[in-house]
Amino acid sequence: MNNYDNSGKITFDAIVIGAGLAGSAAAMIMAREGLNVALIERGNKPGAKNYFGGAIYTHAIEEVLPGFMDLKPPFERPVTEAGFWFLSKDGMMRASVQGGKLEKEPYDAYVTLRAAFDPWWAEQAQAAGAFLIPKTTVIDFIRDDDGHGQVIGVVTDRPQGEIYAPVVIICEGVNNLLTQKLELIGRDLEPAHTALAFKQVISLSPQLVNSRFGLPDNSHGLAVSVVGDVSLGLPGMGFVYTNKGSVSVGLGVMLDVLAEYRLKPYEILERYLKHPAIAPLVEGGQLLEYGAHLIPEGGWRDMPDVYTGGVMVAGDAASMVNALHWEGTNMAMIAGKLAAETAIEAHSRGDFSAKTLSRYEDRLRERFILQDLRQYRNFSKFLEQHPEFMEVYPAFLNDALGGFFSAYGKPKRQLFQEILGALTDRRGIFKAAGDIVSMGRAVMGW
Amino acid sequence: MFHALVAIKQVPDTTNIRIDPDTGNLVREGVPAIMNPYDAHALAAAVELKRKLNGKVTVISMGPSSFNATLREAIELGADRGILLSDRKFAGADTLATSYVLAQAIKAIHEEEPVHMLFFGKQAIDGDTAQVGPGVAVRLDLPIVTYVSSIREVDLERQKAVFDRRTERWSEIIETSLPVLLTCEKEIAPVPFAPLPDLIRSLRYEPEFWSKSDGPATFDDAYVGSKGSPTIVYKMGTPPLPEAGEKINSREVGVDAAVKSALQQVEAAGVLAEILGGAV
Amino acid sequence: MVPGMNIESNETNVRRFWVFIEQEGGEVHPVSWELLGVARALVAQVQSEAEENGEEVVVEGVLLGDDVEHIAKLAFQYGADRVYLVDDPVFKNYRNCPYYKSIAQVAEKYQPEVFLIGATTLGRDLAGAVATALHTGLTADCTGLEMGEVKGSRRRLLLATRPAFGGNILATIICRKYRPQMSSVRPRVFPMPECNPDAAGEIIRESPAVQEENALACILDFIREKGADVDIEYADVIVAGGRGLGNPDGFALVQELAEELGGVVGASRPCVDLGWIDAAHQVGQTGKTVRPKLYIAAGISGALQHKVGMQNSDFIIAINNDANAPIFDVADVGIVGDLFEVIPAMLTAIRGRKEALANE
Ligand SMILES: Cc1cc2nc3c(=O)[nH]c(=O)nc-3n(C[C@H](O)[C@H](O)[C@H](O)COP(=O)(O)OP(=O)(O)OC[C@H]3O[C@@H](n4cnc5c(N)ncnc54)[C@H](O)[C@@H]3O)c2cc1C
Ligand SMILES: Cc1cc2nc3c(=O)[nH]c(=O)nc-3n(C[C@H](O)[C@H](O)[C@H](O)COP(=O)(O)OP(=O)(O)OC[C@H]3O[C@@H](n4cnc5c(N)ncnc54)[C@H](O)[C@@H]3O)c2cc1C
Ligand SMILES: Nc1ncnc2c1ncn2[C@@H]1O[C@H](COP(=O)(O)O)[C@@H](O)[C@H]1O
Repeated sequence: MNNYDNSGKITFDAIVIGAGLAGSAAAMIMAREGLNVALIERGNKPGAKNYFGGAIYTHAIEEVLPGFMDLKPPFERPVTEAGFWFLSKDGMMRASVQGGKLEKEPYDAYVTLRAAFDPWWAEQAQAAGAFLIPKTTVIDFIRDDDGHGQVIGVVTDRPQGEIYAPVVIICEGVNNLLTQKLELIGRDLEPAHTALAFKQVISLSPQLVNSRFGLPDNSHGLAVSVVGDVSLGLPGMGFVYTNKGSVSVGLGVMLDVLAEYRLKPYEILERYLKHPAIAPLVEGGQLLEYGAHLIPEGGWRDMPDVYTGGVMVAGDAASMVNALHWEGTNMAMIAGKLAAETAIEAHSRGDFSAKTLSRYEDRLRERFILQDLRQYRNFSKFLEQHPEFMEVYPAFLNDALGGFFSAYGKPKRQLFQEILGALTDRRGIFKAAGDIVSMGRAVMGW
Repeated sequence: MFHALVAIKQVPDTTNIRIDPDTGNLVREGVPAIMNPYDAHALAAAVELKRKLNGKVTVISMGPSSFNATLREAIELGADRGILLSDRKFAGADTLATSYVLAQAIKAIHEEEPVHMLFFGKQAIDGDTAQVGPGVAVRLDLPIVTYVSSIREVDLERQKAVFDRRTERWSEIIETSLPVLLTCEKEIAPVPFAPLPDLIRSLRYEPEFWSKSDGPATFDDAYVGSKGSPTIVYKMGTPPLPEAGEKINSREVGVDAAVKSALQQVEAAGVLAEILGGAV
Repeated sequence: MVPGMNIESNETNVRRFWVFIEQEGGEVHPVSWELLGVARALVAQVQSEAEENGEEVVVEGVLLGDDVEHIAKLAFQYGADRVYLVDDPVFKNYRNCPYYKSIAQVAEKYQPEVFLIGATTLGRDLAGAVATALHTGLTADCTGLEMGEVKGSRRRLLLATRPAFGGNILATIICRKYRPQMSSVRPRVFPMPECNPDAAGEIIRESPAVQEENALACILDFIREKGADVDIEYADVIVAGGRGLGNPDGFALVQELAEELGGVVGASRPCVDLGWIDAAHQVGQTGKTVRPKLYIAAGISGALQHKVGMQNSDFIIAINNDANAPIFDVADVGIVGDLFEVIPAMLTAIRGRKEALANE
């Protein structure tokens, strides 16, 4: 395969920026259709700098790569138990689901580590024929000087670093430098809409993981979001995922909050790890890695224009994350695929104008991505305005259920009054009702 | 045509184990395999010369097939040809057996295309032995200059070259005949950030594969791998824990008292008087 | 037939323990004496075994140079029974080829059992070449040497211990089949032996294996380098600073204390990497090994790679504001506190002490 045109320029049929979840998906789809694709990644190899919780959803992988289970994806465990843990100061209430649909193959989600998954995912793109160019960062675009300024290539940080292609898909992840460069969005990430997530991976023997988390064996896994006394009562959410021989524990806190309270991320994480309900779970484990990564939580509100002449944007770069469900991987993969399909269409027409690429947005709209993002659009705003959701309710639930499940020799009527009292002490009764309504609005889009 | 040969080893990146600045914890996430840093500088020097003298650079490495990644990186940095010396029988080699395999391969390369200069790293950061370069020079009966910090002059006509060599106390300017084997300090040349076309070429490059029986070099079974290695690892252990002395907390007893108590102990050990005695 | 001194064919009645006596311009590198001390200790470990077998065990030096006979006499004072002297103008300045070829020639003639070389710049250049020429094993940068019984070997073997994997593991290496058993040893890992001014021994003169025209290299000039004068390896007092100094200015304080104590400044690696101080000051695995009478570590956490370079110091004071810093594990006395308070207090105390001494 020769990538040089007659004038000695390096040219491809398509360029994908970023070999993350969105990028490799897009490259895979296009390469499979015979396009000559350059997949550019700034890291030494895919996944080198990527972090997430995390659980990854099979429906999205299957859609991009049918029959993927035969290709031995580097999964840790299937998610057979999922839900929420509510932490109070010294206790915990678990609300999780296990068995049933979660137990049935094909599993809905798997826990994995990006350092293993991303290289495998990119390999599938390479196997389809995409050309991976690592250790190279895209810093700018080459625009056509015909007046439309259509993008016709990219500039990388290397000497003689220009690469040409009629269509470029930006999958640069959360740091939206390139979308800004194209003025698809007019501003930096907003600290109030961006969470800094940090996590530790702590090694434990598989047997200990099983016994501590109540898993019958290594083919069962747990993925929970943790709320309440995780982040000093500030808007933020924690998570716990079981890997094969380790546990990923971490939390995300909004950037503006970190700045306002001058908090050091690791201090919050240390505190969370020392919580009486969390500490015993990781006790005696060895710290394997520590990492931090941003999550764009603005969702719908922060989406850039997702296309312009010669360009489409997918994944975190387009703020496609559902903050409540920690869902970003599936949106990234599907969006990457939809952008790729649009690029293939553009190639068949030989037309890469904004008009042709606008089909990408239509495709997004037809699928769950834009629908979900719309539905949840007010959720993070809700959290900002209702810090009590993160603080008061988990504590309340703890007290309440703690009371509910212990006999105390009291009449049940009194018990319920006490529970109600516990809540109204913390927050006026009307306010409490109002909270529930606005929470419902945020999530359900009422 | 000027022909330089560079011997390159792949090593775990021991120096680049990151310490998280916030927590002070080791970030161990997949300690990556890298090109031995000294070798990268040696290669950079070879490539600089080949550009100046319009020549060619061949790189060799002995190791498992995963070392191909490092040979490709060498191509990215400007080498023209990469050869992997790989065979199950080569495994378990100490520095003596390694220098044998490299020397035999170099002989074969030299026969195809005469080599003028051989570049080695000062040492490999995984073992820090600094033995392989001198070993190869002895086997090929070549002059060697170790700790080369710069190349002053290469005169292909007179078959001479002049180098700066760094020792603990001074720098020497040293002249040798060609061919010569160098072991290189990092100062010899900066590692360049390769142009995109070179990177793309390297990504498509398939290094040559020479094994014990496959390829133009000949190897005697008795000299390769663990069989050809006189040294044997007899046992492994962890360093013994030293006994800790007293810890004085200056926040509890006050800074002056802590210092006083510490100095008293130095004095009691008979150390302070000796030192101050000399100083007064 | 594999070359080299295969032990089956090469066991003689005299067991020779060799030390390379390193000199440049008539100046001996002290590591040579340290190694004579080690060789003496090793010989003691095989003494009874040798007596049983009716064998003789000796410590011998190998000395090359131009007009350096006086150094041979010093070698006797530090423990050599005999010195092989190759004295020739070709050795005026150290060069790899004439040195290794001549040493290999002498070694082939006398067949030493053990051969120790200092892991100095010169020694490292030389050791690998000699070992290859003799086709034998060489263990680099040893921190422990011992003659021990190994199953299947008639005589005790040299057990050479060296750090591996960034100092996290100690590996003990043996060389079973070939002789000599070679090791390089870093300066200051072993103590300086007593000097016995009355000791004498035998000098055996040998001729060089190479004449000037075959020396392969020619030194045109020497340039003295900046920083080349810092000699922390043999200083009696070292005050070392680490990342806890916060910035390059912190070294001024460390320097002041070092001067007050008549010592020199040491540093941990990050300070060198950050450009706060010249690499010549670095203590540790990739820096220098030191064993001063007094080592003061200020703002150094005490990573393994630092400790291996200084744990043999006679007396160690650690100053660190983190009570759990591992440096306290090797300290004879530790002060938990802010170095910016502790060092000034120490300066005051020492100045006071000096005054008192002066008035006595
Ligand atoms: C702590 C945490 C937990 C999470 N948990 C979950 C979870 O459990 N489930 C879930 O579905 N989602 C989760 N997410 C979200 C999910 O990880 C992201 O939404 C998803 O990774 C987005 O994929 P992407 O391809 O858009 O971006 P990324 O995966 O970030 O990929 C971007 C790639 O582009 C490269 N790149 C960037 N700029 C350039 C450039 N200029 N030139 C070349 N290359 C470039 C980067 O190196 C990177 O490889 C979590 C996120 C975090 C931080
Ligand atoms: C292969 C390899 C080789 C290496 N070789 C070497 C080597 O030769 N030499 C070497 O030193 N390192 C070496 N290292 C690095 C080593 O692992 C450590 O990273 C390094 O020694 C740490 O240096 P430090 O103690 O100065 O810094 P840090 O670990 O950052 O410690 C700073 C210390 O200062 C304390 N401190 C901060 N402020 C104050 C204050 N105001 N008062 C008192 N105390 C304070 C802190 O509590 C902390 O303990 C090597 C590493 C590798 C992987
Ligand atoms: N396996 C190997 N393959 C190629 N070159 C090597 C190998 N091992 C060592 N070298 C070269 O020898 C130098 C010194 O290595 P060492 O003696 O192991 O410290 C390295 O910098 C390399 O240039």
